[in-house]
Amino acid sequence: MSYLLETVQEQAQQAGAVRVRAINLVIGERASIFDDSLLFYFDLLTPGTVAEGARLNVRRTAMRFHCATCGEDYSRVDDTFCCPRCGTVGQVVADGSELLIESIEVES
Amino acid sequence: MTLVHTVAVGKRLLDGNDQQAAVNRARFEAAGTLAVNIMASPGAGKTSVIIRTLDALRGQARVGVIEGDIAGRIDADRVLAAGAAGAVQINTGGNCHLEAHMLTPALDALDLSDLDLVFIENVGNLVCPTHWALGEALKLCVLSTAEGHDKPVKYPEIFAVSDVIVLNKIDLIDLVDFERARFYESVRVLNPHAPIFEISCRTGTGVVAWADWLRQQLAAPALNRKER
Repeated sequence: MSYLLETVQEQAQQAGAVRVRAINLVIGERASIFDDSLLFYFDLLTPGTVAEGARLNVRRTAMRFHCATCGEDYSRVDDTFCCPRCGTVGQVVADGSELLIESIEVES
Repeated sequence: MTLVHTVAVGKRLLDGNDQQAAVNRARFEAAGTLAVNIMASPGAGKTSVIIRTLDALRGQARVGVIEGDIAGRIDADRVLAAGAAGAVQINTGGNCHLEAHMLTPALDALDLSDLDLVFIENVGNLVCPTHWALGEALKLCVLSTAEGHDKPVKYPEIFAVSDVIVLNKIDLIDLVDFERARFYESVRVLNPHAPIFEISCRTGTGVVAWADWLRQQLAAPALNRKER
């Protein structure tokens, strides 16, 4: 989280920003990181910085699977990675492992 | 007039940690020491796996242990009593995982050139430790049967990134309704190749096979080292 703030401060400074309005993150489903915990730390760390009051936007990427038996493309359902249509074990086609600072919106 | 614009960043959230992990990795590699990051829930048996492994490798490898805990030094004392050549306790002060920079004092305190293997016991947690590389050559996930066969589906990251998986408390498998086939099926979706060792630290079942595999990694550690 401190690295997130450092990166945002550095990028904001380079852009000549006076304030950061929003930070856009990409976090995959596989990472199991919840918005609440991110927001909790973010609100603790940002007061007094250029990112104080910034909106933290999180774009989620899903784990996606393909079923070689019936051709279904699907996301995980309940406690299994199996195809919801035919029950076959699917293959991972998108691993949902992203942990990325995509962009920031700044005022200058 | 206020101008609002978007600045593309495109950086991994943990770049800073990864850079420090690379520094740690270089220290382990320069010393010829195999570093294993042990990740599991509290109570899965991380310390017990270390103690069993120390016993199995006695006289064959010099093993150091870095114990990550929120507080206390009970585990460091336990592994020293069990024959570790050195042990350092890191108290994270509330942090739910180890981060690469926290290892610096521990690496200064251990004489790496004297150690063949270092276990880094992470804080008990199935989520956060998976994201912070420490400079390890191998990530070991320990799951106990009592936690349930559904854990790979609920916590996919740890099973996806681990190089080896130990399924502990195998002596309890029938008591806790752990469905082995469903566990293997889910793990293999995430991670087709990581070896899985079924062991019981209580009875000693399976420990020899696990220790044999680890001994092979000591002989050829470079094979499994990869940046993440």
